[in-house]
Order: sequence, then C-alpha cells, then structure tokens
Amino acid sequence: MITQKIKRLAFKTVALALGLALFLPGRAYAQSQATPPANPTQVATTQPPPAAGGLSGYMELHLTRPIERDRDPVLDLHRFVLLFTHQFSPRLRFVGELEVEHALVEGLTDAGELEVEQAYIDVLVRPWLNFRAGMMLVPIGIINERHEPPTFHGVERPLLDTVIIPSTWFDVGGGIHGRVGAWRYRYFLMAPLDSERFSAEEGLRGSLQKGSRAVVRDVAQTGRVEYLGVPGATIGASFWKGGSSVALRRFHTSTAVIEADGRVTRGPFEVRAQYAHVFIDGAGDINDSLARTTGVDPNVARQLRGFYIEGAVRRPVGAEHEVALFARFENVDTQFRMPAGWSPLPEFDRTVWTVGATYYLDPDVALKFDFTRTANRSLFRPLDRTLNFGLGWWF
Amino acid sequence: MVVLMTLLRLTALAALLFQLGGAQAPAASAGLQAEKVAVRIIAERFEFRPASITVPLGARIEFTLVSEDTLHGFRIIGGDVDVEIPKRGRGKTVVSFTPTAAGEFTFECSRVCGAGHGFMRGTVKVTPKKVTP
Repeated sequence: MITQKIKRLAFKTVALALGLALFLPGRAYAQSQATPPANPTQVATTQPPPAAGGLSGYMELHLTRPIERDRDPVLDLHRFVLLFTHQFSPRLRFVGELEVEHALVEGLTDAGELEVEQAYIDVLVRPWLNFRAGMMLVPIGIINERHEPPTFHGVERPLLDTVIIPSTWFDVGGGIHGRVGAWRYRYFLMAPLDSERFSAEEGLRGSLQKGSRAVVRDVAQTGRVEYLGVPGATIGASFWKGGSSVALRRFHTSTAVIEADGRVTRGPFEVRAQYAHVFIDGAGDINDSLARTTGVDPNVARQLRGFYIEGAVRRPVGAEHEVALFARFENVDTQFRMPAGWSPLPEFDRTVWTVGATYYLDPDVALKFDFTRTANRSLFRPLDRTLNFGLGWWF
Repeated sequence: MVVLMTLLRLTALAALLFQLGGAQAPAASAGLQAEKVAVRIIAERFEFRPASITVPLGARIEFTLVSEDTLHGFRIIGGDVDVEIPKRGRGKTVVSFTPTAAGEFTFECSRVCGAGHGFMRGTVKVTPKKVTP
C-alpha cells in the first residue's frame, strides 16, 4: 500500500516536473544566457542555427549456418533501422527510431516486426537535470542503449541481452536524466511488463508492451547509474521494478531486474562483462492461471539470471581497416529458481561460447564472423553449434 | 682604472640584472601561455571524456577532439563552435574557444551518432579571475 502511494507520488512528481519543464526551458535557457556569452560578437553573428534534423540508421545482415545438418542455413536482413532527429531549439529536441526486423512484416505471422523503438522529446535544462518523455529505451545493460552493429562483437547480440534483458527493450514513459561530475544517471517511469507473456525459454522477451495501448495500471520504475571517471572505462548498474499484472488482473505479480556491467578499453585490448538477475513475484500464480486458461503450463521461473565476459584485441590492418578478435563466455539460466511445486528443465540452463572476428572496413562498417557453441544439460538436444556471418553498418 | 673597474662592475651588474630579467622572461611567457588551456576530448558513443572542464576567465581553450568510433559533432551552445570530429583513425579536430565571461557553457554532440546520441553532452565552467590585492 505504501509502495503504491510512493509510486503514485513519484509519478505525479515526475509528471509535474515534466509539465513544468515543457514551459520552463525558454526561461532556463534565458537564465543561462543572462551571463554575458562567450564572445558576444561571435554569438550575435555567427552562432550556427540549431540543426534542423537528420536521418541516420543502421542495418544488420546475418547468415546463420548450423553445423548440425538437421537445420537449414538462414540468410536474414535482421534489422533495418532509421533514426530521425529534429532540434526545435538547442534545448528541445526530438529523437525517433523506426525498425523493421527480418525485412518483412505481415499480419498475424512471425515473419517480422515494424516497431517504433524511440520517439521522445528531450528537454535539456541543466547538465544534471534533463527531462525525457515518449517512447524510450530502457536504460539497462550495455547493449540495450548501445546496439549499433559496429559497437559489439559477434553477429548476434549476447544471449543474456536477448532473454534476460530483452533488448531492444523499449516502452512508453517519462523521466529524468543527467550528469553530476563523473556520474551519469537516468530514472524513468515506464509502462510495465506483461507477465502473461513470460516464457520458460525466452524469459522476459515476449512481455514488452511496446507502447501499443500499453496498460499502465501498474507503473514500472527503471534507472541506471554510470561512473565515467576512469579513462577508457564505463562501470554501470541498472534496475527495473514494477507490477506486471497486465492481462492476469486477479493476481498481483511483479518483476524486478538488477544488473551490473563494465567496459574497459586499454590500448588494443577491450574487456566487457555483465551480470543480470530477474526476480518474478507470483510466478506460481502465473503458471497456475495460464495452465488453467490455455492448457499449457508456461513453467515460468521465479528467478532468472545470466552473465557474460568478453575479451577482444583490436589491431589496425593497413591504413584504414581494423580487425578485432574476440571470445565471449556466457551462462544464461531462465529457470534459475522455480516456484514451489515446479521443477527447472535442464535445457534452459545454457552455456554459450562465441569466438570470432570483426573486420572494420570503416569504423562504421563491420564484417563479422563467429562460431557459437550453445550447450545445455538436457539429454534431448544438448548442443547447438552455428557458424555466423554478418554485415552491419551505421550511417 | 677606477673608471674601468666601475664600468666592469656596472657591466657585471647589468649582466646580472639581464640574467635576472632573462630568468623572469620565461615566467612572463609562461604566464601568457597559461592563458591558453589545452584540452583533449575523446568522443565515443555516447560520452565525451572529459565531460566537465573548468577554466579561468580569459583563457583561450584549445580543444583537440578525437573520436574512438564514428563521426561525432562538437557544438558549444552559446558559443560559435560547431565542428565535426572525424571517425576513429581518421585524424582529429582542433578548435579554439575563448569565453569572455564567467559562467557555464554546455557542449554536445551535434551529429547523430546512435540511439544514445541525446546523452552526449558536457560542460565548460568558466570561473572568475582571482583578484590580486
């Protein structure tokens, strides 16, 4: 009860702050300009006008070639993403991101998805306090906010960033972000997950409401803190917490995610690591309810967890190209702890080795190759091995 | 002889003063150079390092801008600086900025560089000059 009140209060406070911010930026900007500008003549005559906007984007083309012959090789234009921006003034901007997954979108099939992943207004007031509202990325983990193909190794994103952190994780909401010294933070209130769509194999992946008539009877909170004080290193921690009884109204289920990560670059060496843990309160109720209504028990766990560590070395090739060799180890268990009365299935405790190379034809064009070995503890299909080729670019 | 000795003494004294003056000259020069503050900023999705810079009023800041990945922009809001930072391995951009008043200036990436482009900002804090009594 108290928690609900706090949430309501927080929601109202942020809503009020957002409302004020929409009216205040002109004043705030004027205040900052009240001190004489850097060079009055220059400011008066040559300050460039705000950028009117622009079009950017990225694409990923994947070829997946299973070693085991019972599965077919697949060639897929996995992502085609366009980013739109518009700057109304130096302190008021719009960012939009439109994504087509798997190249083709057809109704009621699993062919692909057309998604508005970002569509928000940023009100930039002070370095330490800015406001954002609209469709936003959830500030959690390394990949979710930083997923342009040249920024990560491997053709596919880590499994952890697929089923534990369902990247690209986005939804509607609003909140604040800023920077204080070497610390950077964001704190958003967002539409919650839908626990009816949790699954044993894919964890939280299917549960995003994606801002499409999102039910906000519950409001989720999410936040991230990053420390940028060490040259070449970024250390971060994130959380998500909120009710998730969207379709299952009779039960109060809630979901919490905690996460920690780090990225370090020293000369040619790059290391990154991430840990994420999910807590689902009411997992037994979810299983019971869905087993009764659909006849299928989803076998949802009460805890999921995953981690990975990746090392890479990046060297120049000739004057303009570079190559990076990398290896990544990860363990993902979407049935780490089960509710009383349910047993974990061994196939969902997965260990993944990915080794390969990223060849940079340009800092924005990455040719990728890797070998991925996914092992689990089931007797039925304990091993999956694939050769993956990818071409990803940003413009 | 006395005159000669006096001339020698005066010459030695002049030389000494010249030496002292000469020793002070670099200090003055260093004082002038202190007006220029060199700042190297590394841009990477989605951050500037360092993102917080403090300089005294009157200093001319010479920014050396380098990218660790893609093409970024560097714009000082309220200043006349808006330049591109070339991609990784493609060189650097050097640009100067001379604030003429104390205060805080925000700089930001002015070239869309990815999903988190909006986070890429920093500040130049210009402190008032100390008044020497």
